[in-house]
Amino acid sequence: MRKVYLHSRCELRPGDPEPDWRSVFSVMEARRMGRLLKRAVWTSSEALKAAGIAVPDAVVIGTDFGCIDNSEQFLRGVKGIEGAPLKPTHFMQSTHNTIASLIAIRLGCHGYNATYSHRGRSFESALQDAATQIALGDIDTALVGWFDEMTPLLAESLAAQGIDPKEHALAVVLSANPEGALDEIPSLRSE
Amino acid sequence: MDPVLHITGAGVVSAIGCGQAESLDALRRGRSGIGPVRYLETACRDFPVGEVALSNAELAARTGAPSDLCRTSLLGILALQEALAQAGFGSLEGIPLIGGTTVGGMDLTEQVFPAYSRLHDCGASTDAIAAHFGGAPWATTLSTACSSALNAVIFGANLIRSGQADIVAVGGSECLSDFHLHGFGSLMILDKEPCRPFDATRAGLNLGEGAAFLILESETSMKRRGARSLGILSGFGNACDAFHQTASSENGEGAYLAMRKALAMAGLRPGDVGYVNAHGTGTPNNDASESAALRRIFGEAVPPVSSTKALTGHTTSACGTIEAVFCLLALQEGFIPGQANWHQADPACITPYRGGEEAFQAPTGRLPLKHVLCNAFGFGGNDSSILLSHA
Repeated sequence: MRKVYLHSRCELRPGDPEPDWRSVFSVMEARRMGRLLKRAVWTSSEALKAAGIAVPDAVVIGTDFGCIDNSEQFLRGVKGIEGAPLKPTHFMQSTHNTIASLIAIRLGCHGYNATYSHRGRSFESALQDAATQIALGDIDTALVGWFDEMTPLLAESLAAQGIDPKEHALAVVLSANPEGALDEIPSLRSE
Repeated sequence: MDPVLHITGAGVVSAIGCGQAESLDALRRGRSGIGPVRYLETACRDFPVGEVALSNAELAARTGAPSDLCRTSLLGILALQEALAQAGFGSLEGIPLIGGTTVGGMDLTEQVFPAYSRLHDCGASTDAIAAHFGGAPWATTLSTACSSALNAVIFGANLIRSGQADIVAVGGSECLSDFHLHGFGSLMILDKEPCRPFDATRAGLNLGEGAAFLILESETSMKRRGARSLGILSGFGNACDAFHQTASSENGEGAYLAMRKALAMAGLRPGDVGYVNAHGTGTPNNDASESAALRRIFGEAVPPVSSTKALTGHTTSACGTIEAVFCLLALQEGFIPGQANWHQADPACITPYRGGEEAFQAPTGRLPLKHVLCNAFGFGGNDSSILLSHA
């Protein structure tokens, strides 16, 4: 089993000022993307840039609750709430794997692509998946992300269940290469 | 693949039946489970569906689970119950659970919206399955749309290959929901007639539902326990089409790469494959794209291919493992499920295997199947393929 190294890390925290999106995409593109996708694509691109990797061998994303803004908009359409329209775009962008898919399309990345959605374990699972494949020697590099958005309705539901409603926009790059690494990923545990 | 990965338990539920025995009988007879909506509360009643023929109360009664769980969990519990029992386990003690779903508890949320069910999200539906079996040491959930279940198999396999687990429970579960019935309808890819995979007149898919779980185990663990192998997971591949959020590329790049990786991992040549259970949804786009990928892999010598979605409907996140169980049955019983609803060739598509007498011409009445490929492709170009081999 090979060792796995952390090469870069880019995060936007909820209170952070908006970055200059133009470092990654055009104003037109930014307009077409929702808040979640914009933050996901931007942090991913910056993390890859910092790691000096154009196209990673794998894109593995964790999202605790998925693309809920689009889900809610489509649900409003399905239920005919306040005359909301039924838009296929909302459905297409409601699936959890929309984020990893969009990143792969932008990068032209045909490698391994997966999305985990399991509440607080989503990012940990994505990291474990990518690190396992690097350790096994199946891949050399991976982009791993953790992306979540909050709507007032979901925040209310989570708070009622005692879960802290949190947005996430974190991208990291893992590699088998020790050169220029920020850190070593602790060895994979067997539970 | 090293170490050898065995499947020591399998459980399945879909519109064609509960359990392996009912499924096998339906596959052999070509009995379809497609029909009008019976249990789902929806205004979208023009489209036939592949509904599991049990209400939530009946599913709960069969398993002893509470009937107020989401249907995704109820279906998952029924399938996992069969898989664990076959492998000789009474609980998930010491066995990580890797689930796959996208709909999760949307069936509950859409009844109370604008509000969320506490079982809305994918993770909650997997946790509810784990809880029914006494809890797993840990659980997680893949959500890559219609390839979710196969990606759960792949992650589980990597956990064993890397020594992080000896035994894993992997699979997918998905119920019908008003949400995604409207969703697929809005994309204009539902057929008002029974779907016709690879046929020239195909006009879309029929949504289905169901669940299937596999118990995946290292050979060392299997021998130590004295368990029996149902088949070997000899290779797998996951690749991204990286073409469009919902459409597949014309040359089927993602599908081609996924199948090629699975073959390379198993150290097999295309000619070694005796059957391909295709993703074969019945949409004009999927079947042409998948056919292009199959032709790139197999050239002129495409092995028997069929899509069992003509019988079950498209069980979305669960289809990968539901069809993997069908492939295990094919390997064990020496038969190939014939393509239902196929009448007219399309130059853009492979000609599927339609079954019939040749299946019984072998002296034993069995086809000597050794290796089968099982495909599952999802929105976002999340394409996966697994290779199953005779134990």
